[in-house]
Amino acid sequence: MGDYLQYLLPLAKGAGMTAILCIIAGVAGSVIGLGIGLARASSIGVVRWISAIYTNLLRGIPLLIILLFTFFALPLLIPGAIFSTMVSGAIGLTLFVSAYIAEVVRGSIESVPRGQFEAADALGMGYFLKFRYVIVPQAMRVMVPPWVGILLAMIKDSSLVSVIGFVDLTQAGKIVGTTTMQPLLAFVVVGAIYFFICYPLGRFGRWYEKRLSVSLGLPEAPVLVPATTDLLPASTDLLS
Amino acid sequence: MISVKSLHKRYGKLDVLKGIDCEIEASEVVCVIGPSGSGKSTFLRCLNLLEPITSGTVIINGHDLSNPKINTVLVRKDVGMVFQQFNLFPHMKVLENIMIAPIKVGKKSKAVTKEKALELLAKVGLSDKADSYPSALSGGEQQRVAIARALAMDPTVMLFDEPTSALDPETVGDVLAVMKRLADEGMTMVVVSHEMGFAREVADRVIFMDQGLIVEAGSPAEIFDHPTQDRTKAFLSRVS
Repeated sequence: MGDYLQYLLPLAKGAGMTAILCIIAGVAGSVIGLGIGLARASSIGVVRWISAIYTNLLRGIPLLIILLFTFFALPLLIPGAIFSTMVSGAIGLTLFVSAYIAEVVRGSIESVPRGQFEAADALGMGYFLKFRYVIVPQAMRVMVPPWVGILLAMIKDSSLVSVIGFVDLTQAGKIVGTTTMQPLLAFVVVGAIYFFICYPLGRFGRWYEKRLSVSLGLPEAPVLVPATTDLLPASTDLLS
Repeated sequence: MISVKSLHKRYGKLDVLKGIDCEIEASEVVCVIGPSGSGKSTFLRCLNLLEPITSGTVIINGHDLSNPKINTVLVRKDVGMVFQQFNLFPHMKVLENIMIAPIKVGKKSKAVTKEKALELLAKVGLSDKADSYPSALSGGEQQRVAIARALAMDPTVMLFDEPTSALDPETVGDVLAVMKRLADEGMTMVVVSHEMGFAREVADRVIFMDQGLIVEAGSPAEIFDHPTQDRTKAFLSRVS
């Protein structure tokens, strides 16, 4: 067993790459998702329509296909470009995540009672003031649980980038497994590492959600919006 | 102060307001009564452009609401509104609810606004609730805060959309007392309400609406004691 300890290093490197990829995709996906989500909730028909195409398209295609597309097809659009596996992985994962976050953002905005919009309007608040001070703070409480769920699912789904050859935790596990001829051991360790990344994040999400409820002076939000969680991988149930 | 000529409002194929003509003087208190579906709330909401006008002219304190280029923010700074469901911002304390619009929309200084907000809270009898969240307040208290919030913008006209309809009978009196005080101080008020007692005591004029039109208008004594139209008589006999 002791000889295998040296293989923890490549696994750790793989975990590091997974972490970097997930941080990039998580942050970029959230920012883009927030923007698209606001567009989805817009009162302007065209804006809603275009953003709907974006979300429906990206939510209707498996992540694997999106990753293969960003790796093989996307570079063809830019003459002479070759995307590294890191770049394709990051782009593909970001696009995928942004679409789900957009729908969660839209749902959370629509969950804010109409009266809040009207009161803000009646006080003379324009779009930016209304959303910044009245709507989004209230939408946050509803948004956070499914948003954390999406990010957690993303960490696990990121294992798919191994298919385009990116050496993330999963790919490192495959390599170590074949090198040591102990695939079971390798994947048990890989699984454990994923778990120890995801579980604390899930707990953090619950804590943050509780904190938001307290600051709103409202009781905790009930488990929510089946329509969005339907489309998430079943694995998110574990941590809610 | 308010001049309404031939106001029409249509939702898709439905004509909700079929030609309203109305003149309201400064400091006048006008109560609008009528059965549900008569269009009285819609009429009120046209006065601060919460509902866009289909056709006709509405001029409030010099603002021409029928002009498509009208700056809605300017209008809403001048016209305050109190809603049936209060619509206080639940994520802000009472004082913040009152202060947010003058600071962010009116661009007033925090210190000046805070002083004014405390004065208004005292005026509605809720000085001790400044640091409470709306969820800790009773319905009547919330509505009084809502009135203070609307007044914080220094409007020249106050619109009330069934302000006491969602309240327990015990607290209705508190809110009406605040409204009466406002009327005594010379505020121009348009009140949609079922509180006939209030209309009788405080209103300068009562307007009876039915099916999108003004059926009859006159002093409270004229309308309540000597209605001339059959529909008015029928309505009054049903509600008294």
